[in-house]
Amino acid sequence: MSKVQEQMPTLIMGAGLIIYGLIAKSGALLSMTKVLHTHKTLDLQVTMTLVLGCIAIAGALLNTTRKSGATNLDTFVLRPLGGIILILVMAMAIRWYAEPVMKLISKALQPTLGFKIYKVLNLNYVVLGILSGVLLTNTWGIPKFAAEGVKCARFVLKMGVIMLGARYSFAELAKLGVYSVFLVGFFVLGTVFLVLWLGNLFKQPKTMTGVLAAGMGVCGVSATVAVAPVVKAKSAEMAYTIGTILSFGIICMFVFPTIGKLAGMSPVQFGAWAGTGILNSAQVAAAALAFNAVDIETLKVAEIFNITRVLFLPVIVLVLATWFGKETGQKLSFKSVVIDKFPVFIIGFLLLFFMSSMGLFSPPSHYKGKYIDVSYNDRSQVTPEEWEVLNSAMTAGEFSGLTETQLEAVTNLVEQRQIAGNYEDRSNKKAFDHVGRARMTQLQGILAAAKAKQVKLSGDVKAAIKHAVKQVKKKSKTVVTLTDFMIWFFAFGLIGLGMQITKKAITQAGGWPIVMGVISGITKATLSFFVVLWLVKDVVLN
Amino acid sequence: MSDEEKKVTIETGDAGKGTTVISEDANTEELEERALSVFSSDRNEDIVALVFCLITTFLVLLFTKWLV
Repeated sequence: MSKVQEQMPTLIMGAGLIIYGLIAKSGALLSMTKVLHTHKTLDLQVTMTLVLGCIAIAGALLNTTRKSGATNLDTFVLRPLGGIILILVMAMAIRWYAEPVMKLISKALQPTLGFKIYKVLNLNYVVLGILSGVLLTNTWGIPKFAAEGVKCARFVLKMGVIMLGARYSFAELAKLGVYSVFLVGFFVLGTVFLVLWLGNLFKQPKTMTGVLAAGMGVCGVSATVAVAPVVKAKSAEMAYTIGTILSFGIICMFVFPTIGKLAGMSPVQFGAWAGTGILNSAQVAAAALAFNAVDIETLKVAEIFNITRVLFLPVIVLVLATWFGKETGQKLSFKSVVIDKFPVFIIGFLLLFFMSSMGLFSPPSHYKGKYIDVSYNDRSQVTPEEWEVLNSAMTAGEFSGLTETQLEAVTNLVEQRQIAGNYEDRSNKKAFDHVGRARMTQLQGILAAAKAKQVKLSGDVKAAIKHAVKQVKKKSKTVVTLTDFMIWFFAFGLIGLGMQITKKAITQAGGWPIVMGVISGITKATLSFFVVLWLVKDVVLN
Repeated sequence: MSDEEKKVTIETGDAGKGTTVISEDANTEELEERALSVFSSDRNEDIVALVFCLITTFLVLLFTKWLV
């Protein structure tokens, strides 16, 4: 096959993306996207498709003219390009079309079924992405041109986790960290000892029991590979164990969100449960986003629990080495497990967390990228029309029912045309901010009183005050953009995860590992479900 | 290791790792080598992910904060 033929799918996808981008830019898709409720993403659709289309064509042309080598450009950009573009095209099609269509179908079927199928089966872009990956790989198979790109899914998923670090506050990380260490520590060690006990009960070889204990207790495949030499596991036992872990994890990934919804779990509780009960890092992210794809609260909690679980690996290796009576002088020492296996991506996660906490993305006092800015700023002012409305109402005595402090806040708003501190205090930022925020609270109080019909205000006045409050509540564009990138990284990684779920991977499970794995997995999932419901409260993220 | 040696193919199902082939009678040393190779590939992957994230973060900061 010539190089041009090899690159043809990438070239076609690139051209298709550019054509789509141009059609979207012309406004021809506006009415359709309004029906699908995706019209607000039209600008993003145009930018993404045009940029990706150009990258795809440029990369494909470079691949046809250039001799492939072992450079970083070849390894990380040019060779996987076809697969990366394919997954991104799938992700875009799912987010902008498949998910909205699913919502419309679900809504249409609601009178007949009596429930929203979209909600019960969590058919959001995450689940649809995984399912489409599974479907592709188990029917036509992964196309040859995309094979290298699919391998990027794992590290793109890690990029998502690293980016997630920017969305935690110190208090959240501290609270979640404490919860996760206790819960994960208890369940990881509990599962390991349960599997060891089951192995003893069913009279199974220590080699198999040891490797299964690590796999079911810590983090699936990585733990199995790390512990196999410690307990001298046989290759067939590894295959059985990995098959069991994968099958169990895949079932959990789809079943956990539905159970969580039926049990009425809060996002925080579900995140804690998924992070504790599911074995594989990618499957934890998938379940968390399947449960709650609208915001990232569940994902935030689940990832902290997941990271804690990953960090438990050296402890488990030590426990199993002691249990097995490992000989010394071998290549894989405890030190190498601690140092070589240390998940470097966690350092990245912490780095983003510190960058965010230092106020690099938005002021340090922000929460979820939102913050209040009462400093003098054109973008914080009310419009001239709104000012006229407020000024006329003030002159006409429309604010007579307000308290003294509320009246002072409105008077100041009219004087300064925005919510702010005292002009003379402007050099003392702390005092200025304090007064400004107090005035904002008073104005919010007026709106609440008007809503409760305690004071009577015209619609225009209420709208003007509402806008004034909205103007000082800023949203960090940097945090919003970083979050968008993160969500796309997860969408990409999870479609790739779906492409790795093959019939062969599942059917290799068997023998005693599947019996012991199912018993220990269900015990862990059930017990952690009740413990999480009992212990984890919503206050964690408040 | 002879060519006659039987191999076990393990589908790791882990995005990026895919299929791994290992000798049916792999000894501890082989398993250790396999584990160390997986650790090393994990580490490289983590470092690449970290570098890409820092580049993305820098570009986002450039276009949403420093250049506006």
